[in-house]
Amino acid sequence: MDFYKKILPKLDHTLLGAVALILVMSLFVLNSATAHLSSSNLIKQIMWIFVSIGVFLIILRIDYTIFTKYTRYLYLFNLLLLISVLIFGSEIKGAKSWIQLPGGLGSIQPAEFSKIFLILTFAHFLVKKQGELNTFKDLIPAFVFVAIPLLLILKQPDLGTGLVFIAVMVGMLFVAGANPVILVTLFGGGTIGALFYIYGHLKFGWWLPLKTYQLNRILVVFDSSIDPRGAGWNMWQSKIAIGNGGFFGKGLGGGTQSMGQFLPEQWTDFIFSVLAEELGFIGAGLLLLLYLILIYRGLRISLLSKDLYGSLIAVGIVSMYLFHIIENVGMAMGIMPITGIPLPFVSYGGSSMLTNMSGLALLCNIYVRRQKILF
Amino acid sequence: MVSISMKKRISFIFLMVALFLSLLVVRLAWIQLIQGKELQAKAIDSRLRNIDIKAKRGIIYDRNGSPLAISVSTESVYAVPSQVRSSGRVEEIAEKLAEVLELDKDKLIEKMNKKIAFEWIKRRVPDEKIKQLKELNLPGINFVEENQRYYPKGELAAHILGFAGIDNQGLNGIELAYDKELRGVSGKIMIEYDAAGREIPNAMHQYIPPVDGHSIYLTIDETIQYIVEREIDQLMKERQAKKASIIVMDVKTGEILAMANRPTFDPNNYADYAQEVWRNFAISDAYEPGSTFKTVVTAAAIEEKVVKPTDRFYDPGYIKVGKETIKCWTRNPHGSQSFVEGVQNSCNPVFVTVGLRLGQDLFYKYLNGFGFGQKTGIDLPGEATGIIVNKSRAKEIDLASMSIGQANAVTPLQLVRALAAVANDGWLMKPQIVKEIRDLEGNLIKKIEPEPINQIISKETSTQVREILESVVSEGTGRNAQIEGYKVAGKTGTAQKILPGGGYSTTEYIASFAGFAPADDPRIAVLVVVDSPKGIYYGGTVAAPVFRNIVLDTLRYLQIPPQVSSEDKKEKIEKVIVPDVKQETVENAEKKLKSVGLKAKIEGEGDLVITQLPPVGTELVKGSTVILYTQDEESDQVVIPDLKGTTIKEAHTILTELGLKMAPQGSGLASLQDPAPGVRVMKGSTVRVQFTSPGKDDTILETISP
Repeated sequence: MDFYKKILPKLDHTLLGAVALILVMSLFVLNSATAHLSSSNLIKQIMWIFVSIGVFLIILRIDYTIFTKYTRYLYLFNLLLLISVLIFGSEIKGAKSWIQLPGGLGSIQPAEFSKIFLILTFAHFLVKKQGELNTFKDLIPAFVFVAIPLLLILKQPDLGTGLVFIAVMVGMLFVAGANPVILVTLFGGGTIGALFYIYGHLKFGWWLPLKTYQLNRILVVFDSSIDPRGAGWNMWQSKIAIGNGGFFGKGLGGGTQSMGQFLPEQWTDFIFSVLAEELGFIGAGLLLLLYLILIYRGLRISLLSKDLYGSLIAVGIVSMYLFHIIENVGMAMGIMPITGIPLPFVSYGGSSMLTNMSGLALLCNIYVRRQKILF
Repeated sequence: MVSISMKKRISFIFLMVALFLSLLVVRLAWIQLIQGKELQAKAIDSRLRNIDIKAKRGIIYDRNGSPLAISVSTESVYAVPSQVRSSGRVEEIAEKLAEVLELDKDKLIEKMNKKIAFEWIKRRVPDEKIKQLKELNLPGINFVEENQRYYPKGELAAHILGFAGIDNQGLNGIELAYDKELRGVSGKIMIEYDAAGREIPNAMHQYIPPVDGHSIYLTIDETIQYIVEREIDQLMKERQAKKASIIVMDVKTGEILAMANRPTFDPNNYADYAQEVWRNFAISDAYEPGSTFKTVVTAAAIEEKVVKPTDRFYDPGYIKVGKETIKCWTRNPHGSQSFVEGVQNSCNPVFVTVGLRLGQDLFYKYLNGFGFGQKTGIDLPGEATGIIVNKSRAKEIDLASMSIGQANAVTPLQLVRALAAVANDGWLMKPQIVKEIRDLEGNLIKKIEPEPINQIISKETSTQVREILESVVSEGTGRNAQIEGYKVAGKTGTAQKILPGGGYSTTEYIASFAGFAPADDPRIAVLVVVDSPKGIYYGGTVAAPVFRNIVLDTLRYLQIPPQVSSEDKKEKIEKVIVPDVKQETVENAEKKLKSVGLKAKIEGEGDLVITQLPPVGTELVKGSTVILYTQDEESDQVVIPDLKGTTIKEAHTILTELGLKMAPQGSGLASLQDPAPGVRVMKGSTVRVQFTSPGKDDTILETISP
């Protein structure tokens, strides 16, 4: 207890305040987004928030530098987790992403947690490779390091989380000092190349390792009339919901589009549309502002960190948040492909909440330990 | 610990983050603030489609529950264009549709290429074609059940029923007046459609069942309506009139029992007729009622005691009102007559005198009291008010004109109602057309009770006027309306038509007859109005026989027993045997018949009775007539007898005994014959006789009699 009495006043209150406000907004919006479902959903979410706060406190207690000692085990554990989901996981909507917990505790999504494990292990990996990230050859081990868990995730398939992995990797590599030219060439060129290849697929029927629905989720950004039954529908409905909100919004529970359950997965993937419809431009704008604060404070922690390991963890976590936010919000507004990744601290779901809170805990952990003299 | 390069990199990341988030905010503002309205409209317009499920329209029944308008389910064909397109068989589908439904293929292709969720191909398609299409199983082509209005009795009561349009909306008549009740409440299927009009799987799909419409029970009696329709058709055929209207009203309740107009239309194909024909003239057109209006003047004058039935009048053939002269309708002046005789003669000077005695205030009191110049409030659309000369501007000459039914224009409904009030102890009733409203299960929703408005004249006046009007039929201008066994009251009317530019037509008339029966206990009031009959145009000739036929059949149908006086009954009971008078002189034969209490009617011009009808030994009621067919013994010529009403056997006997031959046609009773009765022919000539079944063609018998 002494520990927490000492440490709590020293936390980054701006950061925590922003997250607290996001959580409050989330609960209000989830209340209406899940209105048609059983009322226990909201209670479950509140319960998960408390569990996450518990985990937050536990992580806060452990000096993050300890993790460097266990990098090997954490990495292996991560792989085991991802393999086990492929073996024991239950298939929901065509993806083996969930492990059913015994005793009716619900199910967990290992890919969520694996992002944290990736950040912790990859940060240590990069610390060791400090100054050796200038050539493409130098970067290969780093790619392999990320590629192994990434492939397991893509096997589920969970393209969204896979992209988060790439975003986290790029962010961490960049801050770790990797040659920006190589990064831009690789990933900028890769994205353009991928788009070109998709074009070739459509035009000339080149082989593509994507199912039609997956492809459509990307194409819909460019032409919303594509796949109007699936991805196009989602995007349209989402845009309509957001547009319907106007400046002040329709009020909580007043979102006709969301209350009419026009949006698939509106409590997770499309929660932003519900929020924008009910709280309007003011509410949605506020949320984005709070996210900006979250990310700013996260990057600030990265700068303040006493060591490179902490900086890289912080950047990894910020990259994770950032990608989730841009992808989720961008998808809702029709400028990003449709992938089912949750909006941090807002979407319904225990695994996501736990992961994001763990990330927050790590940020705070790094923040409070920035001065060695403290302990 | 953090190197400068790393600081730069983290700052760079933050800049990128700020840039990305700003982009998101800009996008958010674009969608919410600029596109917002458009997207909202789209949300309602094209994403969610409500398909109306039309409720089944209520049935319209006559007063006895016979259906006059029903709803029949038919199927309509619609396309979901995107589904058709995605099948890649647009051309083929359009071709098949065009073939089965007899539509233009190019237009169909155009429809299939529309970017909408739903497109009608053809509505109300016959069953066999639907079956054909269903067998073809064309992608994107769907069927929906729609209710179509069907009027099983065709033209019967067309103007009362009106009609409902393709979307089951009431457009005229009862269908319009009671549209709200008949229509019911549409149900809905709410289906989410995506941008291409495809139904979204697992999307909201809600069904709100329709509430079927209520049924309307009219006051119309199908049988009486049928009688009226039959008579009005016959009338139009015979008189080649421009228009005609007939109303039958229940005197005591104000209920309309029948109402018909010509020209008419079939509500099943209402669009094939000129809109003008849809008009219910009986309530929508005002005309100058002419002499039929004298009934109202009579009632007012008696009630106000400005005249007694026995008051004497002298008609020189005209009457001077100020500087103007009003002529009587006949060239021969009626001379001295009582008021009753004046009514019987429909004498204009008498009525002008009486009208002027009433004076302006009282005259208008009764005009208003009997409901002229006001809507009657019948539950039908398009009722006219009529035109009443403005009281403040009415001069003496106007009053005089009004007294003989000119200057004012009334609707047939107003007039028949006023007459019914005269018959109904002075009580003016609101005309009723709807009796009850019931739900589909037959539970009573609303009952419309008879609604007395006002008592205009006393019971005593009503009785007196009834007697006067009865005498018009029994002794006056309305003789053609007489019905054996029933006392009938009524008044003829013959009015010159008003020319569109003012003034009266000299060639076009409106012939009418207004009356009620039985005269001493009135049950029905009937008005027959004939606009511009060809040839004879007198109301007594044109309209009275129609009135008579309608009243006779209606009273019989209503099982109102004939009123035969008690003395008549006693005489009838006494029966006698017809004696043999053949080969007797006419003088002797008559004596013989008289002695047993029978009358004789002589046919032919001879002295000797050749044959008789009925033959010897027939039992007859005392007072009956025996026809004696005579012949000049020496002459080889015979006078053709009147065979009307005889059976083939009787006609054969008569003709044979007269030395004539018969060429019979048809069966039943003799109706037509050639040569006509009274014509002299040589013995041995052939007489052609047409026999027709009794009852079936009463009217034909009527028309050929002189």
